[in-house]
Amino acid sequence: MKQLFDKYKREFIVLLATIAMCAIFTIMNANFLRWSNFLTILQQMVLNSILAVGMMFAIITGGIDLSIGCTFAITGIVVASITVGGGNPFIAILAGLIVGALLGAFNGFLVNNLKLQPFIATLGTMSLYRGIAYVVTGGQPVTNVPDSYRNIFNGKMFAGIRYYIIVMIIVFVIAYIILQKTRTGAYLYAVGGNEEAAKLSGVNTVKTKYIAYIICGVCASIAGLVMLASLGSAESTAGTGYETNAIAAAAIGGTRMAGGRGTPFGTFIGGLMLAVLKVGMVVINVDSFWQYVVTGIIIIVASYFEFIQQDVQAFLARRKQG
Amino acid sequence: MGKAVEFTKINKYFPGVHVLKDISFSVEEGEVHALLGENGAGKSTLLNILHGVYPEYEGEVKLHGTKVHFRNPNQAIVEGKISKVHQETLVVKDLTVGQNITLGYEPLKGGLVDYAKMNKDVNEILKDLDCNFKAEDIAATLTSGQMQMLAIARALYHKSTIISLDEPTASLSQKETEALFKVVKKLKKDGVTIMYVSHRLEEIFQICDRATIMRDGEFICTLDVAKTTRDELIHAMVGRSVAAVASRLKPCRKQDEVVLRAEHLTGDAFHDVSFELHKGEILGFFGLVGAGRTETMRAIFGADKRLGGKVYIHGKEITGSWNSTKALRAGIGLIPEDRKTQGFLTLSSNIDNIAISSLEKYMKGAFVDPKKTRANAERYFKEMDIHPNDPDYLTKNLSGGNQQKVILSRWMSTDADIIVFDEPTKGVDVAAKAEIYRLMEDMVEEGKSLIVISSELPEVMGLSDRIIIMCEGHINKEFNRDEFKSSDEMLDYAIGGN
Repeated sequence: MKQLFDKYKREFIVLLATIAMCAIFTIMNANFLRWSNFLTILQQMVLNSILAVGMMFAIITGGIDLSIGCTFAITGIVVASITVGGGNPFIAILAGLIVGALLGAFNGFLVNNLKLQPFIATLGTMSLYRGIAYVVTGGQPVTNVPDSYRNIFNGKMFAGIRYYIIVMIIVFVIAYIILQKTRTGAYLYAVGGNEEAAKLSGVNTVKTKYIAYIICGVCASIAGLVMLASLGSAESTAGTGYETNAIAAAAIGGTRMAGGRGTPFGTFIGGLMLAVLKVGMVVINVDSFWQYVVTGIIIIVASYFEFIQQDVQAFLARRKQG
Repeated sequence: MGKAVEFTKINKYFPGVHVLKDISFSVEEGEVHALLGENGAGKSTLLNILHGVYPEYEGEVKLHGTKVHFRNPNQAIVEGKISKVHQETLVVKDLTVGQNITLGYEPLKGGLVDYAKMNKDVNEILKDLDCNFKAEDIAATLTSGQMQMLAIARALYHKSTIISLDEPTASLSQKETEALFKVVKKLKKDGVTIMYVSHRLEEIFQICDRATIMRDGEFICTLDVAKTTRDELIHAMVGRSVAAVASRLKPCRKQDEVVLRAEHLTGDAFHDVSFELHKGEILGFFGLVGAGRTETMRAIFGADKRLGGKVYIHGKEITGSWNSTKALRAGIGLIPEDRKTQGFLTLSSNIDNIAISSLEKYMKGAFVDPKKTRANAERYFKEMDIHPNDPDYLTKNLSGGNQQKVILSRWMSTDADIIVFDEPTKGVDVAAKAEIYRLMEDMVEEGKSLIVISSELPEVMGLSDRIIIMCEGHINKEFNRDEFKSSDEMLDYAIGGN
């Protein structure tokens, strides 16, 4: 147990802060504690969390992916077009995931083969992918997605829980397994921690970074699939600005922006905290403009905390050594 | 004439190491004074004290008879009128030459930078130095020789009376070197005192008046260059007996099986390098910094691109795209020179740092089994006596010697049987050094084959079965163990003699 706490110290602290936030909202409005409200929070966090966990993979390798909002939109358009045209919904889902993987792989190509800075490379593809979405649709939304598709994600199980909640949980479990249990996970952390050292240890850094960007793209696609199911239509403007929320969730959850550190658990808590904040502010009737102010403060405080934590660790290490 | 610089009983300690021991000597005003010694002799540390980089030291520094104690390099430049021209010149490439030279001390007019005056002043200095570039040029367009001149011009802008040149010719062409010497002679005529650090002995004879020799942090002697021979100089620099430091108890007996062969290998920093490594031998690579040894090995390991030539590992030629992952699979390991930036994973524990190159050995189905990686780390912690004995500890918090043992453990955990050690004992204390030598010998006993790149002659001569000496990117000489005679001879080949 102590070991678990040591490993996830940062995550537990964010979780405690989130619980404290819930307590404050409950004191201000007892309705906050309702089951339906809890479901709202979960639904609220689904898209951002799935995007954030993918983003986390890119960040762990020392990169970033600004194009996820556009991958998200393109996936919606592709899947909507297939299903509206009468295609098999499962084939449409597969096609959507392939689109995400390809767009992610192209980011990987720019970063690995052309050696572009990830920020600039994905800033470029952000515009490029968005442009493709506009060109393909002519700016028109694709509407009337059939229920046969929508129910796959949107259907309710018990107690009002929709399937996409389960999808989110599966995504996080898979992310956890990849990062914590497989060789690829160890390589991802190694590349982000010190790329040159990883290379000189025999790690295939190019392949590792490709994997990170592909996973990031696939996660964006999964989020796009969920979005399409709940809205029933796809728009080329969908997902604009989502990359910043995803970065925020990952950062609050303790993902190190320079790479090498970050856990799915932390990103999940980060996404949860942002959702609690958003829903809680509505419940206690705070003007939605203030949400931006509060979110901003939380990101800054969380980053500062990360900074302090490193100092404390270095201090303890020195004391331990004598 | 007075004394430009006087050192009296300078002592300097780094954690656990006494790097400068009671250094006392003086430099006359207006002379060109060489500072000589092997890598690690303490020359750079002494210059850093003189120029305010290390404000903490014991002893006394006097400039022109006045006691000084600089807190930072800027104070030394501005108040002490003493400047250092670095080996790798520090230039902001996007700024103009004028901006670089006046950086931080730009001429002002009404609170704004007076560019007209800046360029006029700087161009006067450049003209005086006979430079073929202007204050208005962008620094990025300069050659390394011109950048060296820029640094000297900066020193003159601050009216420096003492200028240190640290390996100024390391990256200069023959022609640029001649131009530099002309400037040095001119400065000397103008009464500027020059302190000159270089490994190239012929330069010392060309332009220096006197030379101070340091060894192992101690002052050895100050010589009048005109009355000294090259051999005397080298002997004073190397000095000690070689066998006392590193020695082979059991030199390799037979050398018939070739495990690694390079043929006409060429890259950016080396050309036409051919050699063979035999099973069970230690092959030393000696040379000065920048001789191309590291680059050659990085190319063989797949960390850098090869421009030409062939490499055979266990008799098989490497073909197609080559990278470190394939090199590892073929059985080559590399222990890099700079542990901090190239060796250990900064954010990882000792367990992960040891396991990273051999993860396929700790699998349980598709997953890495943390119990197995831990057991592996614990085994090496015990075998190598690593302190503190905590595999969960972050490697970056260990001492240099222990970090090196962690990285050694990493490669011993793999199946690599050809291992390249790049400066294996750099920044490692004496006790850990001896242990690393012992481990290397154990590895050879097991049938592994080692390449040791080292700039420490006693180390290469003590450990190696054969020594290859590289100079300026090519192999200059090869010695078998029974041909090792004097370190003077080795050093001679490393600086280009034959």
